Amino acid sequence: MTAAPFDALAPHPTTGFAAATSELSKVYGSGDTRVVALDRVSIAFREGEFTAIMGPSGCGKSTLMHCAAGLDSVSSGSVRIGTTELSTLGDRQLTELRRDRIGFIFQAFNLLPTLTALENITLPLSIAGRRPDQQWLERVVSMVGLSRRLGHRPGQLSGGQQQRVAVARALASRPSIIFGDEPTGNLDSRAGAEVLGFLRDSVRELGQTVVMVTHDPVAAGYADRVVFLSDGRLVDEMAHPTPERVLDRMKALDTHSRTS
Amino acid sequence: MLRTALRNVLANKARLVMTVLAVCLGVAFVCGTLVFAESSAAAYRAAASKDFAGIAVTVTPKYAPPGAGEEAPGALDDALVGKLAEVPGVAAARPAADGSATLNGADGRPLRAGRAWSNLAAAYLPGEDGNDSRHPLVEGRAPRGGGELAVDSGTAAAGGFEIGDMVTLATDGPVLKKRLVGIVKTEDSRVTAGGTLAVFDKATAQALYASPGRYTSIDVSAEPGTDEVELAGRISALLPADRAEAVTGAAQATQQATYTDTLTRGHQKMPMLFAGVSLFIGSFLIVNTFTMVVSRRTREIALLRAIGASRRQVVRCVLWEAVLLGLVASAAGFALGLGIASVLPGLLSTPQDALPDGPLVIGPLPVVAALGVGVGITVLAAWLPSRKAAKVAPIEALRTSEQPPTATASRVRGVVGLLLLLAGGGLLVSLTGAKDASEENLQNAMSGCALLVVAMIVLAPLLAVPVIRLTGRLTGRFGITGHLARENALRDPRRTAATASALIVSTALVAGLAVIGNSTGQALDRQAAAGLGADYVIGSRGGMTAIDPGTEKRVAGTPGVKTAAGIADSTVFTGGGVRRIAGIDPAAVGDVMRLDFVSGSLKDLGPGRIALSATVAREQGVSAGGQVKARIGRNQEFTRYTVVGVYEDNPTAGEVLGSRADVRRDGFLPDSVQRILVRTDGAAVSKTTEDGLRAAAGNSPLVQVKDRQALVDEAAGSLADLLTLMYGLLAIGTVISLLGIVNTLAMSVADRTREIGVLRAVGMDRAGIRRMIRLESVTVAAFGTLLGLTGGLFGAWAVGSLTNGAMKEYSLALPWGTLLLVCLVSLTTGVLAAAVPARRAASLSPLEAVAER
Repeated sequence: MTAAPFDALAPHPTTGFAAATSELSKVYGSGDTRVVALDRVSIAFREGEFTAIMGPSGCGKSTLMHCAAGLDSVSSGSVRIGTTELSTLGDRQLTELRRDRIGFIFQAFNLLPTLTALENITLPLSIAGRRPDQQWLERVVSMVGLSRRLGHRPGQLSGGQQQRVAVARALASRPSIIFGDEPTGNLDSRAGAEVLGFLRDSVRELGQTVVMVTHDPVAAGYADRVVFLSDGRLVDEMAHPTPERVLDRMKALDTHSRTS
Repeated sequence: MLRTALRNVLANKARLVMTVLAVCLGVAFVCGTLVFAESSAAAYRAAASKDFAGIAVTVTPKYAPPGAGEEAPGALDDALVGKLAEVPGVAAARPAADGSATLNGADGRPLRAGRAWSNLAAAYLPGEDGNDSRHPLVEGRAPRGGGELAVDSGTAAAGGFEIGDMVTLATDGPVLKKRLVGIVKTEDSRVTAGGTLAVFDKATAQALYASPGRYTSIDVSAEPGTDEVELAGRISALLPADRAEAVTGAAQATQQATYTDTLTRGHQKMPMLFAGVSLFIGSFLIVNTFTMVVSRRTREIALLRAIGASRRQVVRCVLWEAVLLGLVASAAGFALGLGIASVLPGLLSTPQDALPDGPLVIGPLPVVAALGVGVGITVLAAWLPSRKAAKVAPIEALRTSEQPPTATASRVRGVVGLLLLLAGGGLLVSLTGAKDASEENLQNAMSGCALLVVAMIVLAPLLAVPVIRLTGRLTGRFGITGHLARENALRDPRRTAATASALIVSTALVAGLAVIGNSTGQALDRQAAAGLGADYVIGSRGGMTAIDPGTEKRVAGTPGVKTAAGIADSTVFTGGGVRRIAGIDPAAVGDVMRLDFVSGSLKDLGPGRIALSATVAREQGVSAGGQVKARIGRNQEFTRYTVVGVYEDNPTAGEVLGSRADVRRDGFLPDSVQRILVRTDGAAVSKTTEDGLRAAAGNSPLVQVKDRQALVDEAAGSLADLLTLMYGLLAIGTVISLLGIVNTLAMSVADRTREIGVLRAVGMDRAGIRRMIRLESVTVAAFGTLLGLTGGLFGAWAVGSLTNGAMKEYSLALPWGTLLLVCLVSLTTGVLAAAVPARRAASLSPLEAVAER
């Protein structure tokens, strides 16, 4: 377990946890078609920690992330970002929260094709109508190694470069927490390793909090902590993971879910 | 393949609705117009054949050719009526004494006098039962003696007459006053379609329209089973061949129907024009929609190709889809067209100018047109994109991003567009030096404008980039939403251009028409003002009748009148041409006619002397001091006239000015005046003065009293039509552009679901999304407007320069108000069009960003 290093650049007063859920449930449909995607999940993400959420397909890991990030509504339970309880927020406040305090990295990169790399990176700030902190921006950009590609459009960048832009976009507004949804899912192993390296560096060097959903044990190996989900329930958790240990645990989960 | 096509048609309902609407509107306009035209023609025909129902043969007098000697009294007298009644096969012979009479309404104004051919008069000729079956009485009694008349119920209602009223009317020169004693009914289509009917007793009508004891026609009804043509032959044998003739009723009905139809055909032109324009603009919408539909389905088509569909099958699939869609839309459009046709008569009829009532007549033409237009244009519109679709390589199925148009394609487009632009622009510019608005020049101007429009549409995708970058400076003020809106509009310049093309065309048309209309209007205004110093002009209706000579003195004595100058109008034959001559008293006209003399002056104008307009002088090759041979009016002898002056062309003065004595002596209506130009004290124009002048003219319905504004309005009469046309086009263009933008935006929102999801996820609120879509829409609208305005103004300038040759006072005058209105309407269209797509985009969940596709 890495203690959260004090960083003068940390944007929000610390409570120790960047985000937390308690008794979080998410139910789709009703009656015969009722599906419980999340079943009373309570989990906390410590500041300055890199967490990976793992589990077999359909275990609810993406749903957990969507709910924790305020992208999706919850059926019951609570979600907090810092000290803010999301269930009390309206759409506008939720939107502002996402804009100012959460960063996103998607599997499909999801850059805006009409904007240049730099414009994509500063998009959340532009939406908020704020000027980017130049020093910070340069630091982020040079960290992901995009200094020479800022004027390019996504169509002119490789997949790895696009995802690096996405990482920079997530970091640019200095959010309390960054959520990554299979950030390496569309990348080859080399580009994937680069992106994961950046995410780990952002945690180590910038004190960023990162939560990532993945099904790749190698990706999970970059995290400080791995939590395992199965059938919508939190089933296990592992500190200082290595790909091998994660793989073993996953195999066990797989057989468990198949036999259950 | 048909099943695949059917599935595709039904797959996206919103898209379906938009495309169907586009086709539907075009078809509706065309069908509505055609059905309306056929129905009104049929109604006229029906009305006309009703007029002649039961009339087998009509006998009318035949007049000797003019100049062949003294006119003999008519041959149609009571004796002939009796003789005709004896002819075998004749059931009855009924004489008539018809003519025309113009009435003043109860308010003292001429009643429905705009169409002289429908101001009818007739004699009340009772049959054996004591009633006139042509004019059955509905109220009061038949007129007896010269002091009484009856009118038909329509006339009574329009004129506000009641039995016992004194009605002022005129048939030729003198004003008559008669007491209204009865109201009759008539079926005559000329009267029911917005005319008037005055009925006199027999002696009065005969005196007015024939000669005492004679009739103007005799209608003969046949016994059942008699052949009309044979009967006409038998009757002809009885008639004095040089003085009367017999015509069958059927032939007359046809003739009258054709005549009324021709006179009212103007009603059809405007809707037809609208139909054409809406179809033209609408076809862009259809083409655009299909292009988008096909490009959205690129992957699907590539998949079809990958699993073995041939190119032909793909093309056929898209075409089948178009046929199905065209059929559905045409059917809907046809139904809508019938609706339009049934409300058009109500819209076009005014109490002054009524259209005959009749059932909707649906001939084969509108049906064929609906199918041809609806299905034809849709299939044509689908054909191009379908060929493009067929070229989709199977590998495309695996790619996600759209391919931008190749550089070669845009270079070809640029070259073609520039060539068209040069051709159109060159043609127009070359005309600006033209001296006259000849047919050929006008045709060249038209083709120049058409080339210009086509060039603009071809070039629009290329112009979209720089123009939208420019407008982006404005939208950029809205921060990132404005920036995104601009970039989205620029994403596919071809789509943007195609979406804007409806606005380009309609804005160009409206702006061009507005500028030309405004400039022409002001020119006419100046022209009328330039030539006319008078405040009122009193003239005879149609100019064929004379103003009672006493009028001039009475007018001069009217309170408020400073001077009154009577002018004798006639024609003058000179140098092989017939020209208008105005006989004036040089001392009196200085005040009322503004003449600019190039050489000479009016001072010496007198008997045997004339002044010429600059144009006539140029054509005759004479100048002041020269002589021309001419003969005035009915004078058969050519006389030498000395030219005392040459003046700038002047619509009030006409082509030649002569001395009043000369013209009054030789004119066709001797010793009369045709116009009185009136100058009031302090140039005052008021209702009191006008009423005074009308009274001085004996309140004759045949005399018109017009102030300067009325004259200008009359000269600008066709401009009112232009205005209607303009606003009609603006409305059509707006509706179609609205549909087009909604269509494009809806599709592009659907295309960008994920992107919008991302924006929502990274913190753009719903209002921001809505603003972004709205700004994109406004950007497209502004682009179309800007391009259209530029094209329209250039076209108007070029056509205007041409007009300048024909109309001296013409100069380019921009109607700022109208142009501003056009811009506002277009931008509003943009905002309105964005409403639904923006709401849809804003309701997208941020989860769309992570949705699996």
